[in-house]
Amino acid sequence: MDVRVEGLRFDRDGRVVLDIRSLLLRGDRTTAILGPNGAGKTTLLRLIAGLEPATAGRVLIGDTVVRPRQRPDVAFVFQENVFLSQSVRENLELGLRLRRVPKHERGVRTDEAARLLGIRELLDRRADRLSGGEGRRVSLARAVCLRARVALLDEPLGGLDPATYARLLDELPRLLGAFGSTTVIVTHDHREALRLAQDVVVIVDGRVRAAGTKDEVVSNPGAAVVAEILGYTVIECDGHKAGVRPEALRPGPGPAQFRMTVDHLIDLVDHQEVVGSIGSVRIRVPLPRGLPAPKPGEAFLLHADRTCSLD
Amino acid sequence: MSELLDGMRQSWGLLAGSRSGVAVIAARTVLISGAATILAVLIGVPSGYAIARTRFRGRTLVLGFINTAMGMPPVVVGLVVWLLLVRSGPLGYLDLIYTRGAMVIAQFLIATPIVVGFTVASLQALPPRLPDLLAVLGAGRLRTIWLLAREAKLGLLVAVMAGFGGIISEVGASMTVGGNLERSTRVLTTAIVTETSRGEVERALALGVLLLALSFAVNLTLTVIQQRRRA
Repeated sequence: MDVRVEGLRFDRDGRVVLDIRSLLLRGDRTTAILGPNGAGKTTLLRLIAGLEPATAGRVLIGDTVVRPRQRPDVAFVFQENVFLSQSVRENLELGLRLRRVPKHERGVRTDEAARLLGIRELLDRRADRLSGGEGRRVSLARAVCLRARVALLDEPLGGLDPATYARLLDELPRLLGAFGSTTVIVTHDHREALRLAQDVVVIVDGRVRAAGTKDEVVSNPGAAVVAEILGYTVIECDGHKAGVRPEALRPGPGPAQFRMTVDHLIDLVDHQEVVGSIGSVRIRVPLPRGLPAPKPGEAFLLHADRTCSLD
Repeated sequence: MSELLDGMRQSWGLLAGSRSGVAVIAARTVLISGAATILAVLIGVPSGYAIARTRFRGRTLVLGFINTAMGMPPVVVGLVVWLLLVRSGPLGYLDLIYTRGAMVIAQFLIATPIVVGFTVASLQALPPRLPDLLAVLGAGRLRTIWLLAREAKLGLLVAVMAGFGGIISEVGASMTVGGNLERSTRVLTTAIVTETSRGEVERALALGVLLLALSFAVNLTLTVIQQRRRA
């Protein structure tokens, strides 16, 4: 089911937080909303869920206009773990009870979500006493249970320790399949977005700066600010800006080459890294074996196989 | 110490003795303070919910007034109510002065800010995203209020206990608007004052012990409810 945003504006304390002329989040796909802190990503999610009244414009889920507090058919995973002080099972079943799902069906859905998220052993524990990682799993399971037409995930992997983060990031694509619906993920991590989503929307200062399939957006970010959000290093060279993936930079000449001023070298036992700058941009590249180490202040030629030109 | 023990012994004797009328005074005390507490809860909890959950101009000022009113001297409240209800006052036509009704009104005014203050504090202590969660899960307005109240149960029962505790032990307002009439408006606190002024210290002490026992019984009941399912 498509989610359409039409002429949407949201003001807070006289400041425009979000201003989107038109945006389509395509049905049965996963869209990542990327942007820096305070860009308006979470506000967009809250407007889609009907948690905030729009100052102007509207959001449609399918053909239904979302109205504040009118309970659209969405599942929402909040940035923080929020539970009632009840058992995990009661927390999972709460949304189903509120949506008048029959008792037998509630049990089936809860057990299925618990199995999927690997939380069956937690079902009788108090939800508000879980660890951060366990809480995330329960939050995701609660959303899965609802089988809503639209699933909204606000930084679903935020605030986790590295090990839990890595494990859940591996599992999340499979879980997104379990939602079986239009899924929108808010994140500020481009790697997370590119790994989980088919479509990407980049929001900066409340406005959509890029939207499309992830291939379209990544291969042609357009603006430097979008390129930076997508993980490119933006280098200004001969009066024009280019976006380069930091891992694509290699020493030596090539079709797209840049001159780096060496600052210092880092000895990492098995190899060395050259640290320097191109203009005001700090660069760090591994030094291949056999290549003589450049001295601080020297120019060091780099190239990239792929670059994108920016506005 | 021996006076205290004597007081405790006498309190039982007073309660058991049918002619002393202490049982009637004790029952009247619970009825008046209980009624005032129930009214304060009926008005104070929804008001506290509204203040905790909504943002409006002057909200901080309102909270400041409530916090001040939580510590309002009962005798001042009593004086204001007396001025309103006295025959020549604006509400004198109600003919409530020196009645149990007047005492309920005064105690209600003392208890309500306490109930509102504790309700606001307990609801604000809940996770800020909880109302949003309930909304997206599909809870309507009334269901949301019920679920939030259940989550804030500990704090809300503290509000009830503090409200009841604040009025069952007050004397100034009850004395001013009730008049301490032996057969209709005398309650345990005003009876204690009367007995003390008569020099009947042991009897006053016995009434004090009884008042504490009553207060303890009510609060113990609420505490049992509060602590249920805490394990």
